[in-house]
Amino acid sequence: MSTTKTGNIPPEIHELAGEYVLGSLPAARRREVQARLADDLQLQAAVHAWEDRLLPLTGLVEPVAPSPRLWARIERSLDALALSAPRSRPAPRRAWWRWDSLALWRGLTAGGFAIATLLAAVLVGRLAEPPAEARFMVVLVAPDDKAPGWVVQAGASGARQVELIPLGVVEVPRDKALQFWTKAEGWSAPVSLGLVTPGQTLRVPVDALPAVQPDQLFELTLEPRSGSPTGRPTGPVRYIGRAVKVM
Amino acid sequence: MSALSEFDYEAALAACAAGERAALQRLYAHEGGRLLGVVQRIVRDAALAEDIVHDACVNIWTRAARFDPARGSARGWIYSVARNLALNAVRDLAREVEVDDDTAAALDARASLEAWHDTADAFVWQDSLGRIGPCLEQLEPVRRNCILHAYVDGLSHNEIARRLEAPLGTVKAWIKRSLAALRECMG
Repeated sequence: MSTTKTGNIPPEIHELAGEYVLGSLPAARRREVQARLADDLQLQAAVHAWEDRLLPLTGLVEPVAPSPRLWARIERSLDALALSAPRSRPAPRRAWWRWDSLALWRGLTAGGFAIATLLAAVLVGRLAEPPAEARFMVVLVAPDDKAPGWVVQAGASGARQVELIPLGVVEVPRDKALQFWTKAEGWSAPVSLGLVTPGQTLRVPVDALPAVQPDQLFELTLEPRSGSPTGRPTGPVRYIGRAVKVM
Repeated sequence: MSALSEFDYEAALAACAAGERAALQRLYAHEGGRLLGVVQRIVRDAALAEDIVHDACVNIWTRAARFDPARGSARGWIYSVARNLALNAVRDLAREVEVDDDTAAALDARASLEAWHDTADAFVWQDSLGRIGPCLEQLEPVRRNCILHAYVDGLSHNEIARRLEAPLGTVKAWIKRSLAALRECMG
């Protein structure tokens, strides 16, 4: 019944799909539906049907002319993606890398930072606006194969915020979430910058934190869905990198 | 609808999947303004809206290969990418509001400044709505407004209830029944 195409979708699935596409569900319910969509074919079919039913309503909204900078920004991101696409060779799987693992940092210094520096150079070379304050760039790479997965920018827009930009799509188990952390030299423990939605840019105001320092650590760890229960990283590091000051 | 239907969205997505950046640029040139309009209406912040359209374009580029024309229209898929990012952003913001009364009060004040007209004329009707137009017209105005406030303005159940000064349970029931009626009417 569930695997043979999608025939006979029950009314409550149509109803849930309709409310999801309409957008009226609260955050927690939205996330539930999004998680369920990954492998519920009936729900997928019902959602697609509602997307097409309701699509003409977008015609009720007046278009807004994008700023000329927006397309340039999109192109910069595509450039970064193109650079990261030829992934480096797969390495033996190793979980549980820790912040202070010397082997990890030796490995990254050898491999990952060459990519990081190149990527930073390309991105920064194309930034049009003059910098408002010190800018930092971090390329977060997977500990296993040094493949870049995310770029962190700090001080880029003049605001005290850190931007975590995905370079691709990452898979996260349904009962888990990626949590974003940072730790500068002299801090006793990493500070959480929040939970990450795969494929989406995360922007975190950092007014409460000291300014980003060179070599400050940033990492994404795999945590329970509602985040680390202890306030410190508890799961394996999925992506990690150090801040590099850029012009 | 003629100007919209002449653009081949499906071909544009196929070209994006094949790595042709010019295809994404054509799609952006054709649809960027409307995408930004739709997103900005939901998030009510010009800078955030541009951030989201940026993210949406990057998503469209990286996920184009996964679009399956058998499951829905290419244009519907493109808008679902952008609307989902926008809705996730406003819902996550709302979750913070729940624990921050000052912000909630500020948002309420801002909302009340926005001069909403929740009468039968909350939205300007256009002929270009296609099949959903007559079906929406069969709904009572207040229920129609629930649907439009949710889809077009990105309001949650709670926000619609506050806006219409109706009990939350009533609004939820209106939306459920309106969706069922629309599905029956449109097939």
